[in-house]
Amino acid sequence: MEFLNYFDNVFTVYHIALLVGGTFAGIILGALPGLSPTMSVALLIPFTFHMKPESGLILLGAMYTATVAGGAISAILVNVPGAPANIATALDGHKMAQNGKAKNALHYCFISSFVGGVFGVFILIFFTPPLAALSLKFMSTELFWVAILGITIIATLDSKSVIKGLLSGLFGLMLATIGEHPTNAVERFVFTEHLESGVHIVVGLIGLFAMPQVWNLLENFYAKKNQVFSATGDATLIESFKLVFSKLKALSIGSIIGSIIGIIPGAGGQIAGIVAYDQSKKVSSNRENYGKGEPEAIIAAESANNSMVGPSLIPLLTLSIPGSPTAAVLLGGLLIHGIFPGHDIFTKNPEVIWTFIDSLIIAQILMLVIGLFLSRHSKWIMKVPDNYMAVGILLLAVFGTYSIQNNYSDVLIMFTLGTLMYFGSKAGFSPVPVVLGLILGTMTEEKFLLGNLIGNAKGSSFQHFTSGTINIVLISLCIASIVYGVYSSRKSKKN
Amino acid sequence: MNSQIKLSTIIVTLVSAFLVYASFILGDSENYLFPRLISATIAILTIMLWFEKGEADKSTNFKDLMPGIAIASAFILLLKILGFYLASMIVFFTLVMYYTKPTESKDFWRVLLIKLGVAFVFTFALYGLFTLLLKVHTPEGLF
Repeated sequence: MEFLNYFDNVFTVYHIALLVGGTFAGIILGALPGLSPTMSVALLIPFTFHMKPESGLILLGAMYTATVAGGAISAILVNVPGAPANIATALDGHKMAQNGKAKNALHYCFISSFVGGVFGVFILIFFTPPLAALSLKFMSTELFWVAILGITIIATLDSKSVIKGLLSGLFGLMLATIGEHPTNAVERFVFTEHLESGVHIVVGLIGLFAMPQVWNLLENFYAKKNQVFSATGDATLIESFKLVFSKLKALSIGSIIGSIIGIIPGAGGQIAGIVAYDQSKKVSSNRENYGKGEPEAIIAAESANNSMVGPSLIPLLTLSIPGSPTAAVLLGGLLIHGIFPGHDIFTKNPEVIWTFIDSLIIAQILMLVIGLFLSRHSKWIMKVPDNYMAVGILLLAVFGTYSIQNNYSDVLIMFTLGTLMYFGSKAGFSPVPVVLGLILGTMTEEKFLLGNLIGNAKGSSFQHFTSGTINIVLISLCIASIVYGVYSSRKSKKN
Repeated sequence: MNSQIKLSTIIVTLVSAFLVYASFILGDSENYLFPRLISATIAILTIMLWFEKGEADKSTNFKDLMPGIAIASAFILLLKILGFYLASMIVFFTLVMYYTKPTESKDFWRVLLIKLGVAFVFTFALYGLFTLLLKVHTPEGLF
């Protein structure tokens, strides 16, 4: 119950202001179609540079929580999910909007998101410390394989093509090798003066997530837009609460499935929402109404995608493997504040980590209150024109990148990387494995070099990397995730 | 393999070949050990990519995209000369003026004045937030 000791840190005027601001902005950004939670959190990271680590993490955590929930607003009113996590919500939520019950759908969405979210944070609280203790057994070779496993899982789950996913992750690792060698400071791949400082993690994050959104908004600017429905309906707040809590089966299925999928590295909210929707449909007595505007469907999907948020941080805090793409960005946020995930995270930085985790509970409460308030005015939020959004993101991306090191070269790198990624994504490459490769690159190389040194001293580097129970388990998991990726990609092509 | 996939595969192959060249030929074995491992794996996967049965890529609407990229590139290049705020105001106004929907008001001067006003207010808000409140440096240039 150590987490109870740090609630005082959350209840300061400054931190509450950060939570309210982060939640408010997060719901609006999540509600804007085309702006992903991952991009929102990436753009926010530079603003946290000058804050204390716990304050920065509180702001990022609030934004993460709120954008996932906010994405349901556009899913319901426009039939365009604000985030991939809200795809399942759109199936029945938009039907309810068409039936004149958008307000009811938005109520169900925020209430079930709150329940799922709180459930997920408690999973995070109780499962993280034991897993962190387990990571004590991980030495250099094990940590090398953990990083490779993280990239492999994200690469195979986040891409339609396993080969392209793995290539994306490896390109990310190569990006991390630009600049100084981690141990002897020799410059590598510095073909121009702009590459002298290498590719900073946040520069990569902003470039890979923000710039493609700018180009996407401009490319599709003249495309026909969907109709925006008003948040009308007959439900009072009390009736909505009663209805959500009367659907305990859907709520439990969503919360449990979301938490389990959250812990699986790389899986993310999209899978959580769809699996929970599917499972709740199977056991529901109203299954024939699924797809026609069934409240149970919204409750299952939304409780799942928000309960995923907390558990997605478990592999992140203990093993540096993010449970979702946005968690990968949060990993970058942790590293720039000098917090390194691992077995000693709760002993070296207990105040920072527990304050951050506690703040996630408060963020869920604020998400419920602010979300219910904003959902009344949500029609206007979605009327922000795409050209204004695009230029707003562009300016924030440039400012955020420059402010990291006051370096113009970073702006050039961000712009070039983002533009290349946009065209790369058209060819089936995903930015998430690239980012993870970039984030984990330095650590992976350091562990590789250390393991290689020890292995050579023992007589065989290869044997050192491939012996020991944990190493064998991790290598097997890498192979299993690739095999599963190939199998599921072939299956989806057949379907 | 359709032409777009073929083109992307050719580009990936060229990048992979360059990475292998830079790691194995330009770099020494001591400092480039890790990049060599990665670039060799990239090369193997690139060969496999040629045998992959790819799906048709999403087509790109270059007609609407390229003007945006051109304006944004000009903004990036002008940043150091004009400074962040002046360049931001110009790029804001230019982008929202260029990307105007036919459904917007037919009164050109009204649209122009509104967008100029929004560009000015937005840039001033950025100045207030970044320079006055957060006290963060931005590219200075002339202004």
